[in-house]
Amino acid sequence: MKPAKIITLLALILILCMAAMPTSAHRVIVQGQVSEIQIRAYFGGGSADPMAYADVEIYAVRGGQEELYKTGKTNDTGMYYFQPLIGVSEYRAVVEATGHRGEEWVNLTEGAGITEAEQEEAEDEAGLPLTGIIAGFGYLTGLAGIAMFLTARKMKKQYENK
Amino acid sequence: MVHISDGVLAEWLWGGGWAVTAVILAYALSKMRNEDVPRLSVITAAVFVSSLVHISVGPTSVHFILNGFAGVMLGILAYPCIFVALVLQCFLFGHGGVTTIGINAVNMGVPALIAYLIFKTGAGRGIGPETKNRASLFGAIAGGVAVVLALLFLAAELLTTGEEFLETTVLVVSTHIPIIAVEAIFTGVIVGFIATVEPELFRR
Repeated sequence: MKPAKIITLLALILILCMAAMPTSAHRVIVQGQVSEIQIRAYFGGGSADPMAYADVEIYAVRGGQEELYKTGKTNDTGMYYFQPLIGVSEYRAVVEATGHRGEEWVNLTEGAGITEAEQEEAEDEAGLPLTGIIAGFGYLTGLAGIAMFLTARKMKKQYENK
Repeated sequence: MVHISDGVLAEWLWGGGWAVTAVILAYALSKMRNEDVPRLSVITAAVFVSSLVHISVGPTSVHFILNGFAGVMLGILAYPCIFVALVLQCFLFGHGGVTTIGINAVNMGVPALIAYLIFKTGAGRGIGPETKNRASLFGAIAGGVAVVLALLFLAAELLTTGEEFLETTVLVVSTHIPIIAVEAIFTGVIVGFIATVEPELFRR
């Protein structure tokens, strides 16, 4: 072999070696995460009507510190969507419309989805509160009794004074 | 719509609401007589459950308030009626908020008292079967006006949170048109009925 040929061959091997390991120079990190959080706002009391076009404020919670991350409005079906920040897993969503206000904490590390049990509980809360109605009537009867008792005592006192 | 939730209003506003409520409540309760109690309780029960009756209007959901009806039927006692109904609605149904019970009572109770004045002035003292139509008409006016006033109160308070008064008013009043109409008719019909069968109820 001629020396020139050997040098060419060595150079070729060197180039090949460099081309074969391009990734070793920069470490690439790929992270996966849920890209959208869905907020649903609706009225309780049996009808579950959506809170449409309500103001939404999303607060990102970083190390116990809250900061306003996004503001917007729900759509006609009471939904609002936002992208979570990478590295922030806790959010507080506040929905407000003409004096009505509700809030919800979303924590991605605890599983952002709503479990079946949670959904059932929410539907129970949004349903017609029959026990509440019955309890309310009970309280009213009791209050009426107390009021009757107090006014009767007042009447008796007036009668005695006369 | 008219139940303001916790955390919407500034402290001075809901605090002031409690103060006004306390004063009117104390005065109203001092006027309460033994024979008023059953009527007060029955009307309170009606006001308490009425907020569960929803109508879907456009983008929102509205419910009955019945504050004008309470005012016409109870006079000054409409205030304790609405206050008790609000307390029960808050704790049993989660309507409104705990801190805002006072201001909500102002929003619904003061219009109820104004409704009573409208009714008393319009229908006069001698309500009976022969003046039934006149009483009915003013009952209906009072029933409707009380709702509108409650909404105006709400819009005025939301001003402090940066909402536009005119915009809020137009929004809440327009969505409440069915409520205003139904409550006016309801109050008018009940007043007409009572004027026929038991006009004594209005002679207090």
